[in-house]
Amino acid sequence: MLELKELSRRDFLRICTAITATLGLPFTYVETVQSAVQAKRKPTVIWLHFMECTGCSETLLRASHPPLGRFLLEIVDLPYHETLMAGAGLQAEESLHKAVKENKGEFILVVEGAVSTKDGGIYCQIGGRPALQILKEVAKDAKLVIAYGTCATFGGIQSADPNPTGAVGVSEIIGTSKLINVSGCPPNPYNLLATVAYLLTFNRVPPLDEFKRPLFAYGRRIHDHCERRAHFDEGRFAESFGDEGHKRGYCLYKLGCKGPVTYANCMTLKFCDIGAWPIGAGHPCLGCTEPDFWDKMTPFYEHLKDVPIPGGGIISNAEKIGAIALAGAGLAIAVHAGAGFVKKALKNRANDENKKEEGA
Amino acid sequence: MTTKSKNSRTYKSYHIWSWTLRIFHWTYAISIIILIFTGLIINNPPVLSSFTVEKANFFFSNVRQLHFIAGYFLISAMILRLYLLFFGNKYEKIADFIPINKQNFKSLIHTIKYYLYLTPHSEGAKGHNVLAGTIYVLTFLFSLIMILTGLYMLYPETGWIKSLGSFLFGTQQSARALHYLLFWFFPIFILTHLYILVWHEIREPEGLISSIVSGKKFSRSTDLQ
Ligand code: SF4
Repeated sequence: MLELKELSRRDFLRICTAITATLGLPFTYVETVQSAVQAKRKPTVIWLHFMECTGCSETLLRASHPPLGRFLLEIVDLPYHETLMAGAGLQAEESLHKAVKENKGEFILVVEGAVSTKDGGIYCQIGGRPALQILKEVAKDAKLVIAYGTCATFGGIQSADPNPTGAVGVSEIIGTSKLINVSGCPPNPYNLLATVAYLLTFNRVPPLDEFKRPLFAYGRRIHDHCERRAHFDEGRFAESFGDEGHKRGYCLYKLGCKGPVTYANCMTLKFCDIGAWPIGAGHPCLGCTEPDFWDKMTPFYEHLKDVPIPGGGIISNAEKIGAIALAGAGLAIAVHAGAGFVKKALKNRANDENKKEEGA
Repeated sequence: MTTKSKNSRTYKSYHIWSWTLRIFHWTYAISIIILIFTGLIINNPPVLSSFTVEKANFFFSNVRQLHFIAGYFLISAMILRLYLLFFGNKYEKIADFIPINKQNFKSLIHTIKYYLYLTPHSEGAKGHNVLAGTIYVLTFLFSLIMILTGLYMLYPETGWIKSLGSFLFGTQQSARALHYLLFWFFPIFILTHLYILVWHEIREPEGLISSIVSGKKFSRSTDLQ
Protein backbone atom coordinates (compact mmCIF):
# COMPACT_ATOMS: atom_id res chain seq x y z
CA MET A 1 0.00 0.00 0.00
CA LEU A 2 0.97 3.53 -0.64
CA GLU A 3 2.66 5.13 2.28
CA LEU A 4 2.32 8.79 2.92
CA LYS A 5 5.02 10.67 4.69
CA GLU A 6 4.32 11.66 8.25
CA LEU A 7 2.96 15.17 8.69
CA SER A 8 4.73 17.16 11.37
CA ARG A 9 3.23 20.15 13.14
CA ARG A 10 5.73 22.32 11.37
CA ASP A 11 4.65 20.99 7.93
CA PHE A 12 1.04 21.49 8.87
CA LEU A 13 1.64 25.15 9.63
CA ARG A 14 3.69 25.59 6.49
CA ILE A 15 0.87 24.26 4.35
CA CYS A 16 -1.68 26.43 6.14
CA THR A 17 0.48 29.44 5.45
CA ALA A 18 0.88 28.52 1.80
CA ILE A 19 -2.86 28.03 1.45
CA THR A 20 -3.60 31.36 3.08
CA ALA A 21 -1.25 33.03 0.65
CA THR A 22 -2.81 31.17 -2.29
CA LEU A 23 -6.20 32.49 -1.25
CA GLY A 24 -4.75 35.98 -1.31
CA LEU A 25 -5.43 36.46 2.37
CA PRO A 26 -3.09 38.44 4.63
CA PHE A 27 -0.67 36.67 6.92
CA THR A 28 -2.85 37.42 9.94
CA TYR A 29 -5.40 34.99 8.53
CA VAL A 30 -3.14 31.99 8.89
CA GLU A 31 -4.48 31.27 12.34
CA THR A 32 -8.10 31.57 11.21
CA VAL A 33 -7.52 29.19 8.34
CA GLN A 34 -5.60 26.81 10.53
CA SER A 35 -8.26 26.58 13.22
CA ALA A 36 -10.98 26.25 10.60
CA VAL A 37 -9.33 23.30 8.88
CA GLN A 38 -8.59 21.67 12.23
CA ALA A 39 -12.17 21.79 13.45
CA LYS A 40 -13.44 18.72 15.29
CA ARG A 41 -15.93 17.59 12.70
CA LYS A 42 -14.11 16.91 9.49
CA PRO A 43 -16.14 17.23 6.30
CA THR A 44 -16.57 14.03 4.35
CA VAL A 45 -15.03 13.95 0.90
CA ILE A 46 -15.88 11.30 -1.65
CA TRP A 47 -13.44 11.06 -4.49
CA LEU A 48 -14.46 9.54 -7.81
CA HIS A 49 -12.09 8.61 -10.65
CA PHE A 50 -13.29 8.37 -14.21
CA MET A 51 -11.50 8.59 -17.56
CA GLU A 52 -8.10 9.98 -16.66
CA CYS A 53 -4.45 9.25 -16.00
CA THR A 54 -4.71 9.82 -12.22
CA GLY A 55 -2.08 12.52 -12.60
CA CYS A 56 -4.27 14.85 -10.58
CA SER A 57 -4.12 12.58 -7.54
CA GLU A 58 -0.44 12.00 -8.22
CA THR A 59 0.38 15.69 -7.92
CA LEU A 60 -1.26 15.65 -4.56
CA LEU A 61 0.59 12.55 -3.36
CA ARG A 62 3.97 13.22 -4.89
CA ALA A 63 4.24 16.62 -3.33
CA SER A 64 6.62 15.13 -0.82
CA HIS A 65 7.85 18.07 1.15
CA PRO A 66 5.58 18.92 2.77
CA PRO A 67 3.25 15.96 2.25
CA LEU A 68 0.06 17.47 0.87
CA GLY A 69 -1.78 14.18 0.60
CA ARG A 70 -1.37 13.63 4.32
CA PHE A 71 -2.54 17.17 4.94
CA LEU A 72 -5.73 16.47 3.00
CA LEU A 73 -6.35 13.41 5.16
CA GLU A 74 -5.83 15.58 8.23
CA ILE A 75 -8.48 18.08 7.30
CA VAL A 76 -11.10 15.89 5.67
CA ASP A 77 -12.60 12.48 6.11
CA LEU A 78 -11.95 10.50 2.93
CA PRO A 79 -13.96 7.27 2.93
CA TYR A 80 -13.73 6.64 -0.79
CA HIS A 81 -10.75 7.29 -3.04
CA GLU A 82 -10.00 4.49 -5.48
CA THR A 83 -6.27 5.09 -5.61
CA LEU A 84 -5.75 5.47 -1.89
CA MET A 85 -8.24 3.14 -0.26
CA ALA A 86 -7.33 -0.29 1.04
CA GLY A 87 -10.57 -1.95 0.06
CA ALA A 88 -11.25 -3.43 -3.36
CA GLY A 89 -14.10 -4.93 -5.33
CA LEU A 90 -17.46 -5.30 -3.62
CA GLN A 91 -16.02 -4.10 -0.37
CA ALA A 92 -15.02 -0.81 -1.99
CA GLU A 93 -18.39 -0.36 -3.66
CA GLU A 94 -20.04 -0.88 -0.35
CA SER A 95 -18.01 1.78 1.35
CA LEU A 96 -19.08 4.20 -1.36
CA HIS A 97 -22.75 3.46 -0.81
CA LYS A 98 -22.33 3.66 2.91
CA ALA A 99 -20.51 6.98 2.74
CA VAL A 100 -23.11 8.49 0.44
CA LYS A 101 -25.97 7.28 2.59
CA GLU A 102 -24.50 8.42 5.87
CA ASN A 103 -23.55 11.87 4.65
CA LYS A 104 -26.48 12.62 2.41
CA GLY A 105 -26.52 16.29 1.41
CA GLU A 106 -23.41 16.93 3.50
CA PHE A 107 -20.40 15.57 1.70
CA ILE A 108 -18.12 17.18 -0.84
CA LEU A 109 -17.68 15.22 -4.03
CA VAL A 110 -14.35 15.49 -5.83
CA VAL A 111 -14.38 14.20 -9.38
CA GLU A 112 -11.26 13.35 -11.31
CA GLY A 113 -11.45 12.48 -14.99
CA ALA A 114 -13.91 12.94 -17.82
CA VAL A 115 -17.19 11.11 -18.24
CA SER A 116 -18.05 9.11 -21.33
CA THR A 117 -21.55 9.75 -22.65
CA LYS A 118 -21.61 7.89 -25.94
CA ASP A 119 -23.60 4.66 -26.18
CA GLY A 120 -24.92 5.12 -22.68
CA GLY A 121 -21.47 5.77 -21.26
CA ILE A 122 -20.25 2.19 -21.63
CA TYR A 123 -16.68 3.25 -22.36
CA CYS A 124 -15.94 3.95 -18.73
CA GLN A 125 -17.40 1.57 -16.22
CA ILE A 126 -16.58 0.89 -12.62
CA GLY A 127 -17.92 -2.23 -10.96
CA GLY A 128 -19.94 -2.86 -14.12
CA ARG A 129 -21.75 0.46 -13.99
CA PRO A 130 -21.14 3.40 -16.34
CA ALA A 131 -19.36 6.39 -14.84
CA LEU A 132 -22.20 8.51 -16.15
CA GLN A 133 -24.66 6.77 -13.89
CA ILE A 134 -22.37 6.73 -10.86
CA LEU A 135 -21.71 10.46 -11.17
CA LYS A 136 -25.38 11.33 -11.48
CA GLU A 137 -26.26 9.24 -8.43
CA VAL A 138 -23.50 10.41 -6.16
CA ALA A 139 -23.64 14.07 -7.23
CA LYS A 140 -27.34 14.18 -6.49
CA ASP A 141 -26.63 13.75 -2.78
CA ALA A 142 -23.51 15.89 -2.61
CA LYS A 143 -23.47 19.31 -1.04
CA LEU A 144 -20.80 20.53 -3.42
CA VAL A 145 -18.94 19.08 -6.35
CA ILE A 146 -15.33 19.92 -7.10
CA ALA A 147 -14.17 18.92 -10.55
CA TYR A 148 -10.44 18.41 -10.15
CA GLY A 149 -8.23 18.59 -13.23
CA THR A 150 -8.94 19.54 -16.82
CA CYS A 151 -10.55 16.20 -17.71
CA ALA A 152 -13.15 16.62 -15.01
CA THR A 153 -13.67 20.31 -15.64
CA PHE A 154 -13.74 20.47 -19.43
CA GLY A 155 -13.28 16.94 -20.74
CA GLY A 156 -9.51 17.03 -21.22
CA ILE A 157 -7.75 14.92 -23.80
CA GLN A 158 -10.54 12.34 -23.87
CA SER A 159 -12.88 14.93 -25.30
CA ALA A 160 -10.40 16.13 -27.92
CA ASP A 161 -11.50 15.84 -31.49
CA PRO A 162 -12.77 13.30 -32.68
CA ASN A 163 -13.82 12.36 -29.16
CA PRO A 164 -14.66 8.70 -29.82
CA THR A 165 -16.23 8.06 -26.43
CA GLY A 166 -18.28 11.25 -26.22
CA ALA A 167 -16.26 12.35 -23.19
CA VAL A 168 -17.40 15.50 -21.40
CA GLY A 169 -16.58 17.41 -18.26
CA VAL A 170 -18.63 17.16 -15.08
CA SER A 171 -20.55 20.37 -15.74
CA GLU A 172 -22.15 18.84 -18.83
CA ILE A 173 -23.67 16.08 -16.73
CA ILE A 174 -24.75 17.73 -13.51
CA GLY A 175 -24.88 21.42 -14.43
CA THR A 176 -22.98 24.14 -12.67
CA SER A 177 -25.22 25.03 -9.74
CA LYS A 178 -23.05 23.37 -7.10
CA LEU A 179 -19.87 22.94 -9.07
CA ILE A 180 -16.38 24.32 -8.55
CA ASN A 181 -13.88 23.73 -11.34
CA VAL A 182 -10.24 23.38 -10.32
CA SER A 183 -8.70 22.88 -13.72
CA GLY A 184 -5.18 22.21 -14.94
CA CYS A 185 -3.31 19.29 -16.42
CA PRO A 186 -2.33 18.53 -13.76
CA PRO A 187 -3.94 21.11 -11.50
CA ASN A 188 -1.89 22.59 -8.75
CA PRO A 189 -2.72 20.62 -5.57
CA TYR A 190 -2.59 23.82 -3.52
CA ASN A 191 -5.54 25.14 -5.49
CA LEU A 192 -7.62 22.16 -4.41
CA LEU A 193 -6.53 22.43 -0.78
CA ALA A 194 -7.10 26.17 -0.80
CA THR A 195 -10.59 25.68 -2.20
CA VAL A 196 -11.40 23.21 0.57
CA ALA A 197 -9.82 25.51 3.15
CA TYR A 198 -11.90 28.40 1.85
CA LEU A 199 -15.06 26.36 2.18
CA LEU A 200 -14.15 25.43 5.74
CA THR A 201 -13.03 28.90 6.77
CA PHE A 202 -15.78 31.02 5.28
CA ASN A 203 -18.47 28.40 4.92
CA ARG A 204 -19.31 29.49 1.39
CA VAL A 205 -18.14 28.97 -2.15
CA PRO A 206 -15.23 31.18 -3.22
CA PRO A 207 -15.93 33.74 -5.97
CA LEU A 208 -15.86 31.95 -9.32
CA ASP A 209 -15.18 33.05 -12.87
CA GLU A 210 -17.30 32.42 -15.99
CA PHE A 211 -16.03 28.86 -16.21
CA LYS A 212 -16.71 28.18 -12.53
CA ARG A 213 -13.05 28.35 -11.55
CA PRO A 214 -12.14 30.02 -8.24
CA LEU A 215 -10.96 33.55 -8.96
CA PHE A 216 -8.18 33.39 -6.39
CA ALA A 217 -6.44 30.88 -8.61
CA TYR A 218 -7.83 31.54 -12.09
CA GLY A 219 -8.42 35.27 -11.98
CA ARG A 220 -5.36 36.42 -13.84
CA ARG A 221 -3.70 35.41 -17.06
CA ILE A 222 -0.26 33.84 -16.82
CA HIS A 223 1.08 36.46 -19.19
CA ASP A 224 0.01 39.38 -16.99
CA HIS A 225 2.11 38.16 -14.12
CA CYS A 226 4.81 36.23 -15.89
CA GLU A 227 8.43 36.52 -14.86
CA ARG A 228 9.42 36.85 -18.53
CA ARG A 229 6.97 39.67 -19.21
CA ALA A 230 9.63 42.35 -19.22
CA HIS A 231 11.27 40.56 -22.14
CA PHE A 232 7.96 40.48 -23.96
CA ASP A 233 7.48 44.23 -23.62
CA GLU A 234 11.01 44.96 -24.69
CA GLY A 235 10.76 42.61 -27.65
CA ARG A 236 13.30 40.03 -26.50
CA PHE A 237 12.13 36.64 -27.71
CA ALA A 238 13.38 33.10 -27.95
CA GLU A 239 12.79 32.02 -31.52
CA SER A 240 13.65 28.38 -31.30
CA PHE A 241 14.48 25.98 -28.51
CA GLY A 242 18.08 26.30 -27.50
CA ASP A 243 18.82 29.49 -29.39
CA GLU A 244 20.57 32.47 -27.84
CA GLY A 245 17.32 34.10 -26.69
CA HIS A 246 16.12 30.85 -25.16
CA LYS A 247 19.37 30.40 -23.26
CA ARG A 248 19.12 33.92 -21.94
CA GLY A 249 15.61 33.32 -20.65
CA TYR A 250 13.73 35.61 -22.99
CA CYS A 251 9.98 35.56 -23.57
CA LEU A 252 8.56 32.39 -25.15
CA TYR A 253 5.80 34.10 -27.13
CA LYS A 254 7.25 33.08 -30.46
CA LEU A 255 7.51 29.48 -29.34
CA GLY A 256 3.74 29.38 -29.04
CA CYS A 257 3.38 30.40 -25.41
CA LYS A 258 -0.29 30.38 -24.42
CA GLY A 259 0.32 32.51 -21.34
CA PRO A 260 -1.48 35.47 -22.96
CA VAL A 261 -4.72 33.51 -23.18
CA THR A 262 -4.57 31.34 -20.09
CA TYR A 263 -5.98 32.08 -16.66
CA ALA A 264 -4.04 30.34 -13.90
CA ASN A 265 -1.78 31.08 -10.93
CA CYS A 266 1.18 28.89 -11.96
CA MET A 267 3.39 31.96 -12.25
CA THR A 268 3.01 32.83 -8.58
CA LEU A 269 2.24 29.49 -6.94
CA LYS A 270 4.58 27.32 -9.02
CA PHE A 271 4.90 23.59 -8.58
CA CYS A 272 6.41 20.84 -6.50
CA ASP A 273 7.36 23.17 -3.65
CA ILE A 274 10.63 23.96 -5.35
CA GLY A 275 9.47 27.00 -7.30
CA ALA A 276 9.48 25.27 -10.66
CA TRP A 277 6.96 25.84 -13.40
CA PRO A 278 6.93 25.35 -17.18
CA ILE A 279 7.75 28.88 -18.31
CA GLY A 280 10.38 29.19 -15.61
CA ALA A 281 11.97 26.06 -17.02
CA GLY A 282 11.97 27.47 -20.54
CA HIS A 283 8.91 25.74 -21.90
CA PRO A 284 6.01 27.76 -23.30
CA CYS A 285 2.69 27.58 -21.50
CA LEU A 286 0.30 25.08 -23.12
CA GLY A 287 -2.84 26.66 -21.72
CA CYS A 288 -3.92 23.50 -19.88
CA THR A 289 -6.38 25.22 -17.55
CA GLU A 290 -8.57 26.46 -20.37
CA PRO A 291 -11.62 24.73 -21.88
CA ASP A 292 -10.89 22.51 -24.92
CA PHE A 293 -7.20 23.04 -24.64
CA TRP A 294 -6.29 19.98 -26.69
CA ASP A 295 -8.33 21.30 -29.58
CA LYS A 296 -7.80 25.02 -29.26
CA MET A 297 -4.26 25.38 -27.96
CA THR A 298 -2.69 23.04 -30.48
CA PRO A 299 -0.28 23.15 -32.21
CA PHE A 300 1.43 23.83 -28.94
CA TYR A 301 4.41 25.61 -30.44
CA GLU A 302 2.44 28.02 -32.59
CA HIS A 303 0.41 30.63 -30.89
CA LEU A 304 -2.59 30.25 -33.15
CA LYS A 305 -4.68 27.28 -34.00
CA ASP A 306 -4.78 25.52 -37.32
CA VAL A 307 -7.97 26.13 -39.21
CA PRO A 308 -9.93 23.26 -40.65
CA ILE A 309 -11.14 23.97 -44.16
CA PRO A 310 -14.85 23.19 -44.32
CA GLY A 311 -15.63 20.12 -46.38
CA GLY A 312 -12.06 19.18 -47.24
CA GLY A 313 -11.03 18.28 -43.73
CA ILE A 314 -7.60 19.68 -44.59
CA ILE A 315 -5.95 21.55 -41.79
CA SER A 316 -3.88 24.52 -42.65
CA ASN A 317 -2.06 27.14 -40.71
CA ALA A 318 -4.18 30.21 -39.96
CA GLU A 319 -1.50 32.42 -41.39
CA LYS A 320 -1.54 30.59 -44.71
CA ILE A 321 -5.30 30.88 -45.01
CA GLY A 322 -5.11 34.65 -44.67
CA ALA A 323 -2.31 34.93 -47.19
CA ILE A 324 -4.17 32.72 -49.64
CA ALA A 325 -7.34 34.76 -49.25
CA LEU A 326 -5.44 37.99 -49.80
CA ALA A 327 -3.68 36.57 -52.86
CA GLY A 328 -7.05 35.32 -54.10
CA ALA A 329 -8.50 38.80 -53.81
CA GLY A 330 -5.54 40.24 -55.69
CA LEU A 331 -5.97 37.65 -58.41
CA ALA A 332 -9.69 38.33 -58.68
CA ILE A 333 -8.95 42.02 -59.12
CA ALA A 334 -6.40 41.31 -61.81
CA VAL A 335 -8.85 39.05 -63.65
CA HIS A 336 -11.59 41.65 -63.31
CA ALA A 337 -9.40 44.43 -64.65
CA GLY A 338 -8.12 42.15 -67.41
CA ALA A 339 -11.66 41.28 -68.41
CA GLY A 340 -12.43 45.00 -68.61
CA PHE A 341 -9.53 45.62 -70.95
CA VAL A 342 -10.36 42.67 -73.15
CA LYS A 343 -13.96 43.75 -73.36
CA LYS A 344 -13.02 47.26 -74.30
CA ALA A 345 -10.62 46.05 -76.95
CA LEU A 346 -13.28 43.81 -78.44
CA LYS A 347 -15.75 46.67 -78.46
CA ASN A 348 -13.32 49.02 -80.14
CA ARG A 349 -12.61 46.47 -82.79
CA ALA A 350 -16.32 45.93 -83.39
CA ASN A 351 -16.79 49.69 -83.64
CA ASP A 352 -13.97 49.96 -86.14
CA GLU A 353 -15.47 47.23 -88.24
CA ASN A 354 -18.86 48.88 -88.11
CA LYS A 355 -17.33 52.12 -89.27
CA LYS A 356 -15.54 50.35 -92.09
CA GLU A 357 -18.77 48.78 -93.19
CA GLU A 358 -20.55 52.11 -93.02
CA GLY A 359 -17.79 53.71 -95.06
CA ALA A 360 -17.93 51.00 -97.68
CA MET B 1 -28.90 63.87 -78.34
CA THR B 2 -28.16 60.54 -79.86
CA THR B 3 -25.11 61.80 -81.64
CA LYS B 4 -23.64 63.33 -78.53
CA SER B 5 -20.36 61.61 -77.82
CA LYS B 6 -19.52 60.11 -74.47
CA ASN B 7 -17.04 62.77 -73.53
CA SER B 8 -19.38 65.68 -73.81
CA ARG B 9 -21.88 64.51 -71.23
CA THR B 10 -22.65 67.18 -68.69
CA TYR B 11 -22.50 66.56 -64.97
CA LYS B 12 -23.91 68.41 -62.04
CA SER B 13 -22.44 68.37 -58.59
CA TYR B 14 -24.54 67.77 -55.52
CA HIS B 15 -23.74 67.63 -51.84
CA ILE B 16 -23.95 64.18 -50.35
CA TRP B 17 -21.60 63.36 -47.45
CA SER B 18 -21.82 65.37 -44.25
CA TRP B 19 -18.61 66.41 -42.55
CA THR B 20 -19.42 63.87 -39.80
CA LEU B 21 -19.37 61.07 -42.29
CA ARG B 22 -16.14 62.28 -43.82
CA ILE B 23 -14.51 62.48 -40.39
CA PHE B 24 -15.76 58.98 -39.73
CA HIS B 25 -14.32 57.72 -42.97
CA TRP B 26 -10.84 59.07 -42.47
CA THR B 27 -10.63 58.17 -38.80
CA TYR B 28 -11.74 54.69 -39.69
CA ALA B 29 -9.42 54.36 -42.67
CA ILE B 30 -6.31 55.60 -40.90
CA SER B 31 -6.91 53.60 -37.76
CA ILE B 32 -7.56 50.44 -39.78
CA ILE B 33 -4.32 50.86 -41.68
CA ILE B 34 -2.37 51.38 -38.46
CA LEU B 35 -4.15 48.43 -36.88
CA ILE B 36 -3.29 46.18 -39.80
CA PHE B 37 0.42 46.93 -39.68
CA THR B 38 0.78 46.92 -35.91
CA GLY B 39 -1.39 43.80 -35.78
CA LEU B 40 0.92 41.97 -38.13
CA ILE B 41 3.86 42.89 -35.95
CA ILE B 42 2.11 41.79 -32.77
CA ASN B 43 1.27 38.48 -34.37
CA ASN B 44 4.85 37.86 -35.33
CA PRO B 45 7.17 40.33 -33.63
CA PRO B 46 10.69 40.83 -34.93
CA VAL B 47 13.45 40.38 -32.39
CA LEU B 48 15.14 43.76 -32.36
CA SER B 49 16.40 43.83 -28.85
CA SER B 50 18.63 41.72 -26.66
CA PHE B 51 20.90 42.19 -23.71
CA THR B 52 23.86 41.95 -26.05
CA VAL B 53 23.10 45.25 -27.74
CA GLU B 54 23.65 48.43 -25.80
CA LYS B 55 20.40 50.11 -26.59
CA ALA B 56 16.95 49.36 -25.34
CA ASN B 57 14.31 50.32 -27.86
CA PHE B 58 10.99 49.32 -26.37
CA PHE B 59 9.85 48.69 -29.91
CA PHE B 60 7.34 45.98 -29.20
CA SER B 61 5.65 47.87 -26.38
CA ASN B 62 5.34 50.94 -28.56
CA VAL B 63 3.82 48.92 -31.36
CA ARG B 64 1.27 47.47 -28.98
CA GLN B 65 0.57 50.91 -27.57
CA LEU B 66 -0.03 52.20 -31.08
CA HIS B 67 -2.33 49.27 -31.79
CA PHE B 68 -4.42 50.04 -28.72
CA ILE B 69 -4.58 53.78 -29.46
CA ALA B 70 -5.62 53.09 -33.04
CA GLY B 71 -8.17 50.67 -31.61
CA TYR B 72 -9.70 53.46 -29.57
CA PHE B 73 -9.86 55.69 -32.64
CA LEU B 74 -11.60 52.86 -34.42
CA ILE B 75 -14.14 52.66 -31.61
CA SER B 76 -14.76 56.41 -31.82
CA ALA B 77 -15.21 56.20 -35.58
CA MET B 78 -17.64 53.35 -35.17
CA ILE B 79 -19.71 55.31 -32.67
CA LEU B 80 -19.90 58.16 -35.15
CA ARG B 81 -21.03 55.85 -37.93
CA LEU B 82 -23.52 54.13 -35.71
CA TYR B 83 -25.09 57.50 -35.02
CA LEU B 84 -25.19 58.32 -38.72
CA LEU B 85 -26.75 54.98 -39.59
CA PHE B 86 -29.88 56.18 -37.86
CA PHE B 87 -29.67 59.95 -37.68
CA GLY B 88 -27.52 60.88 -40.68
CA ASN B 89 -28.76 62.37 -43.92
CA LYS B 90 -30.80 60.39 -46.38
CA TYR B 91 -27.79 58.74 -47.99
CA GLU B 92 -26.07 57.93 -44.74
CA LYS B 93 -28.97 56.10 -43.16
CA ILE B 94 -28.81 52.34 -43.22
CA ALA B 95 -32.17 51.92 -44.97
CA ASP B 96 -30.78 53.63 -48.07
CA PHE B 97 -28.20 51.01 -48.89
CA ILE B 98 -29.13 47.58 -47.68
CA PRO B 99 -31.42 45.25 -49.61
CA ILE B 100 -34.50 45.60 -47.43
CA ASN B 101 -37.01 46.54 -50.08
CA LYS B 102 -37.72 45.54 -53.64
CA GLN B 103 -36.12 48.56 -55.20
CA ASN B 104 -32.91 48.18 -53.23
CA PHE B 105 -32.80 44.51 -54.01
CA LYS B 106 -33.15 45.24 -57.70
CA SER B 107 -30.33 47.73 -57.61
CA LEU B 108 -28.17 45.19 -55.76
CA ILE B 109 -28.64 42.75 -58.63
CA HIS B 110 -28.02 45.51 -61.12
CA THR B 111 -24.74 46.51 -59.52
CA ILE B 112 -23.54 42.93 -59.38
CA LYS B 113 -24.29 42.63 -63.10
CA TYR B 114 -22.56 45.92 -63.77
CA TYR B 115 -19.45 44.81 -61.93
CA LEU B 116 -19.45 41.55 -63.87
CA TYR B 117 -19.57 43.47 -67.16
CA LEU B 118 -23.01 42.05 -67.86
CA THR B 119 -24.58 45.42 -68.27
CA PRO B 120 -22.82 48.51 -69.60
CA HIS B 121 -24.52 51.11 -67.43
CA SER B 122 -24.10 51.82 -63.79
CA GLU B 123 -27.37 52.25 -62.07
CA GLY B 124 -26.12 55.63 -60.89
CA ALA B 125 -26.93 55.39 -57.21
CA LYS B 126 -26.86 58.77 -55.53
CA GLY B 127 -25.34 57.53 -52.29
CA HIS B 128 -23.79 54.12 -51.71
CA ASN B 129 -24.93 51.56 -54.18
CA VAL B 130 -26.64 48.68 -52.46
CA LEU B 131 -23.84 46.20 -53.06
CA ALA B 132 -21.27 48.52 -51.55
CA GLY B 133 -23.66 49.42 -48.74
CA THR B 134 -24.19 45.77 -47.84
CA ILE B 135 -20.46 45.16 -47.78
CA TYR B 136 -20.02 48.24 -45.60
CA VAL B 137 -22.56 46.93 -43.13
CA LEU B 138 -20.68 43.64 -43.07
CA THR B 139 -17.44 45.52 -42.50
CA PHE B 140 -19.13 47.37 -39.70
CA LEU B 141 -20.13 44.11 -38.04
CA PHE B 142 -16.67 42.65 -38.49
CA SER B 143 -15.14 45.77 -36.96
CA LEU B 144 -17.49 45.37 -34.04
CA ILE B 145 -16.29 41.80 -33.51
CA MET B 146 -12.68 43.00 -33.79
CA ILE B 147 -13.35 45.64 -31.17
CA LEU B 148 -15.06 43.23 -28.79
CA THR B 149 -12.43 40.51 -29.11
CA GLY B 150 -9.73 43.16 -28.80
CA LEU B 151 -11.20 44.61 -25.64
CA TYR B 152 -11.62 41.13 -24.20
CA MET B 153 -7.91 40.48 -24.68
CA LEU B 154 -6.84 43.91 -23.51
CA TYR B 155 -8.92 43.87 -20.32
CA PRO B 156 -8.83 40.26 -19.19
CA GLU B 157 -9.79 41.05 -15.61
CA THR B 158 -12.40 43.76 -16.08
CA GLY B 159 -15.69 42.33 -14.87
CA TRP B 160 -18.22 43.20 -17.55
CA ILE B 161 -15.78 42.94 -20.45
CA LYS B 162 -14.66 39.53 -19.25
CA SER B 163 -18.24 38.32 -18.82
CA LEU B 164 -19.32 39.67 -22.19
CA GLY B 165 -16.21 38.35 -23.91
CA SER B 166 -16.48 34.85 -22.53
CA PHE B 167 -20.21 34.83 -23.24
CA LEU B 168 -19.72 35.83 -26.87
CA PHE B 169 -16.44 34.16 -27.74
CA GLY B 170 -15.62 31.62 -25.04
CA THR B 171 -12.00 31.46 -24.03
CA GLN B 172 -9.35 34.08 -24.68
CA GLN B 173 -7.80 31.73 -27.19
CA SER B 174 -11.03 31.53 -29.21
CA ALA B 175 -11.28 35.31 -29.15
CA ARG B 176 -7.70 35.59 -30.29
CA ALA B 177 -8.18 33.12 -33.15
CA LEU B 178 -11.28 35.00 -34.29
CA HIS B 179 -9.47 38.32 -34.01
CA TYR B 180 -6.73 36.96 -36.19
CA LEU B 181 -8.91 35.30 -38.82
CA LEU B 182 -11.17 38.32 -39.22
CA PHE B 183 -8.09 40.49 -39.54
CA TRP B 184 -7.61 39.17 -43.05
CA PHE B 185 -10.90 40.61 -44.13
CA PHE B 186 -9.56 44.15 -43.76
CA PRO B 187 -6.60 44.15 -46.15
CA ILE B 188 -8.81 42.35 -48.66
CA PHE B 189 -11.51 44.95 -48.13
CA ILE B 190 -9.10 47.85 -48.63
CA LEU B 191 -7.70 46.32 -51.78
CA THR B 192 -11.13 45.71 -53.29
CA HIS B 193 -12.48 49.04 -52.12
CA LEU B 194 -9.68 50.98 -53.81
CA TYR B 195 -9.81 48.93 -56.97
CA ILE B 196 -13.56 49.31 -57.45
CA LEU B 197 -13.31 53.03 -56.77
CA VAL B 198 -10.76 53.52 -59.50
CA TRP B 199 -12.55 51.17 -61.87
CA HIS B 200 -15.81 52.96 -61.27
CA GLU B 201 -14.23 56.38 -61.75
CA ILE B 202 -12.83 55.36 -65.11
CA ARG B 203 -16.14 54.08 -66.38
CA GLU B 204 -18.46 56.51 -64.70
CA PRO B 205 -16.81 59.73 -63.53
CA GLU B 206 -19.06 60.55 -60.60
CA GLY B 207 -16.29 61.91 -58.42
CA LEU B 208 -16.48 59.06 -55.92
CA ILE B 209 -12.93 59.51 -54.77
CA SER B 210 -13.02 63.27 -54.24
CA SER B 211 -16.44 63.01 -52.62
CA ILE B 212 -14.99 61.58 -49.46
CA VAL B 213 -12.89 64.72 -49.10
CA SER B 214 -15.21 67.38 -50.46
CA GLY B 215 -18.54 65.81 -49.69
CA LYS B 216 -19.70 66.42 -53.26
CA LYS B 217 -20.54 63.89 -55.92
CA PHE B 218 -21.36 64.37 -59.58
CA SER B 219 -24.25 63.03 -61.45
CA ARG B 220 -25.16 63.09 -65.12
CA SER B 221 -27.26 66.20 -65.45
CA THR B 222 -30.12 64.31 -67.08
CA ASP B 223 -30.34 62.10 -64.02
CA LEU B 224 -30.88 65.02 -61.79
CA GLN B 225 -33.82 66.41 -63.65
S1 SF4 C 1 6.74 33.63 -21.65
FE1 SF4 C 1 4.58 33.50 -22.26
S2 SF4 C 1 3.42 34.24 -20.50
FE2 SF4 C 1 5.55 34.85 -20.19
S3 SF4 C 1 5.65 36.93 -21.03
FE3 SF4 C 1 6.23 35.54 -22.69
S4 SF4 C 1 4.30 35.13 -23.79
FE4 SF4 C 1 3.76 36.01 -21.80
